[in-house]
Amino acid sequence: MWQQIELALRQSAQSVLVKLARFLPGLLALLLAVIVLTAIGAGVATLLRRILTAAKFDERLARNATGPLSDWSPANSPTALIARVAFWACVLIGCFIGISAFDAAYPGDSQISNFIIPYLTHSIGAVLLLIAGTVIARFLERSVLIGAVNAKLQYARFLSLGIKWLVLVLTAAMVLDHLQIGGTVVELAFGILFGGIVLTLALAVGLGSRDIVSRSLERSADHRSPLDPIHADPDFKSPTPQETLRHF
Amino acid sequence: MASTQTNVDLASTPAVGTSGLLVSLVPLPQEAFEATLSNLALAFPGESVFVATPDTAPQSSSGSPLRLVPYTLTTVSATPWVLNAADYLNAYKLAQENHATACVLLGGESQSLHPEAIRALAKSALQSDLTLAHYELGPREGLVNSAILYPVTRALFSTRPRFPLAIDVGLSLRMAGRLAITAQRSIAAGQDDGFLWPLNEAASANCSIAEVNVGARTLPQPVAPDLNALLAQIAGSLFADVDARAAFWQRARGTQPAQPISQATPIAEPPPDIASMLDAFRLAYTNLHEIWALVLPPNSLLGLKKLSVMQPESFRMPDNLWARIVYDFILAFRLRTINRGHLLGALTPLYLAWVASHLTLTSKGTPPEKHIQDVAVAFETDKPYLVSRWRWPDRFNP
Repeated sequence: MWQQIELALRQSAQSVLVKLARFLPGLLALLLAVIVLTAIGAGVATLLRRILTAAKFDERLARNATGPLSDWSPANSPTALIARVAFWACVLIGCFIGISAFDAAYPGDSQISNFIIPYLTHSIGAVLLLIAGTVIARFLERSVLIGAVNAKLQYARFLSLGIKWLVLVLTAAMVLDHLQIGGTVVELAFGILFGGIVLTLALAVGLGSRDIVSRSLERSADHRSPLDPIHADPDFKSPTPQETLRHF
Repeated sequence: MASTQTNVDLASTPAVGTSGLLVSLVPLPQEAFEATLSNLALAFPGESVFVATPDTAPQSSSGSPLRLVPYTLTTVSATPWVLNAADYLNAYKLAQENHATACVLLGGESQSLHPEAIRALAKSALQSDLTLAHYELGPREGLVNSAILYPVTRALFSTRPRFPLAIDVGLSLRMAGRLAITAQRSIAAGQDDGFLWPLNEAASANCSIAEVNVGARTLPQPVAPDLNALLAQIAGSLFADVDARAAFWQRARGTQPAQPISQATPIAEPPPDIASMLDAFRLAYTNLHEIWALVLPPNSLLGLKKLSVMQPESFRMPDNLWARIVYDFILAFRLRTINRGHLLGALTPLYLAWVASHLTLTSKGTPPEKHIQDVAVAFETDKPYLVSRWRWPDRFNP
């Protein structure tokens, strides 16, 4: 009996080693493809950066007032943005080639690339969604904060944080949905969370800060219309209208 | 070394013929248009002067020596209260078509200009490349000009005119051509209502600049006076112009002689209500501190912190603090440290703090013009700070 157990163990170990031996070349091909394409990407990025710097690409773009590209660029340099995009594009191509090489090198009918590559493209889309959502959330947070402060709203920071988290929650839900993670659970959770945030904001603004809102409205109304004097009361001093400031 | 001579032309000049002069008017209400035509007839009695206008001439003007040149507006301006790129381009084209050697552009509410003022502008336009009007404003008028536009243009471009954002301007044909090129560039970029800065353009091109005292004038006001949007628009335009002419103003040297300050006793006015401005500043300090920290160095932030705890009756923003704040915002505008719209929005509470400080100071007896001149001197004194930070933004960060 012990001999049979020993034989079975030896056979299973041999089977694992054989599978590992079949797997390693594919893995090596994958790593090689990724490393080579990463090196190529680094070279392309360096070359692009040098060419664009020599051509004064940033200055030409700034002169033509292409605000959005410069606003979204890292360190406000479109050259750096283009170089990074080129580098990461090469890395992604390396990943695709590596997976195809792994699939070709791995014997058998499993066709791993048939389900990994589509999921990899979904993952890239999800990463881009996450980046875009984070950038938009930060932009909107700042816009709302500055606008609310200039409108003299006391709850400016609360409003800006609410907007930021609304956008972030929406982004997270879209990313998870794109990756096909969670399914209905994520949809329900998002709906509850999003609705909760909106309801909280509405309650805070409508009920919790009604005194502040009414004071803001009263102040706005006072600026627009001076009070009519009550002539009958001799002790009443009609309020002098605010001295008009002309900023322009 | 670039430098610009400016002539403060407040004395009457010898009579100069006004043939070859074009006066360009903006769209005006019918009554104002008729009043302006009457003033022009008084300003140029018996002289043949071209008057370009988009309005329909009244019947009674048919016998006037003024030669009306109608023009059609291609777009309706969103900022009719100030001259924009389309106005300058249009005036140059009309001047060329009518063989004018100089042109005078009159902005909104031009019926409030005295005929003598119009004549003085015209005479100066025939002698100098650029003539700007000097207005007599009340102590609480033109505050953006006093806080930002005048000190910045005086310090960076070494020019004296008090009102760089022209409402009424006289141009030689050469100067009009230069401004038309700039206007075309602005219109090509889709900014028909873009502001031009003729004073900066003239200083950069070493053109002659003159200033004419036109006395009291009703300044046209924006239709929807939203301070945030207008300040962002005007300050953004000035900052962009400063950015574009960096090669000039970094070389320009020299300070301007002091402007004559009226010795008349200031009219006693009730103390201004600055409470709302101080509230806005304190609210902004609490909420925008992180954004200001991206733009302003620690010294300026410390100055703002001290301001935020000052009592209203002693609220005083030091002139050099305000100068450095404006310079840091100009630098951040250039470097795009944060989104430009956000940057200009964050400037509004700081401007209101300056206004509150200015009003507090003037209510205690300081002549407003003296304070404004002191602010301009502070901008001139701190110009090396801007030049250093402009050239080495990473290395020089006090």
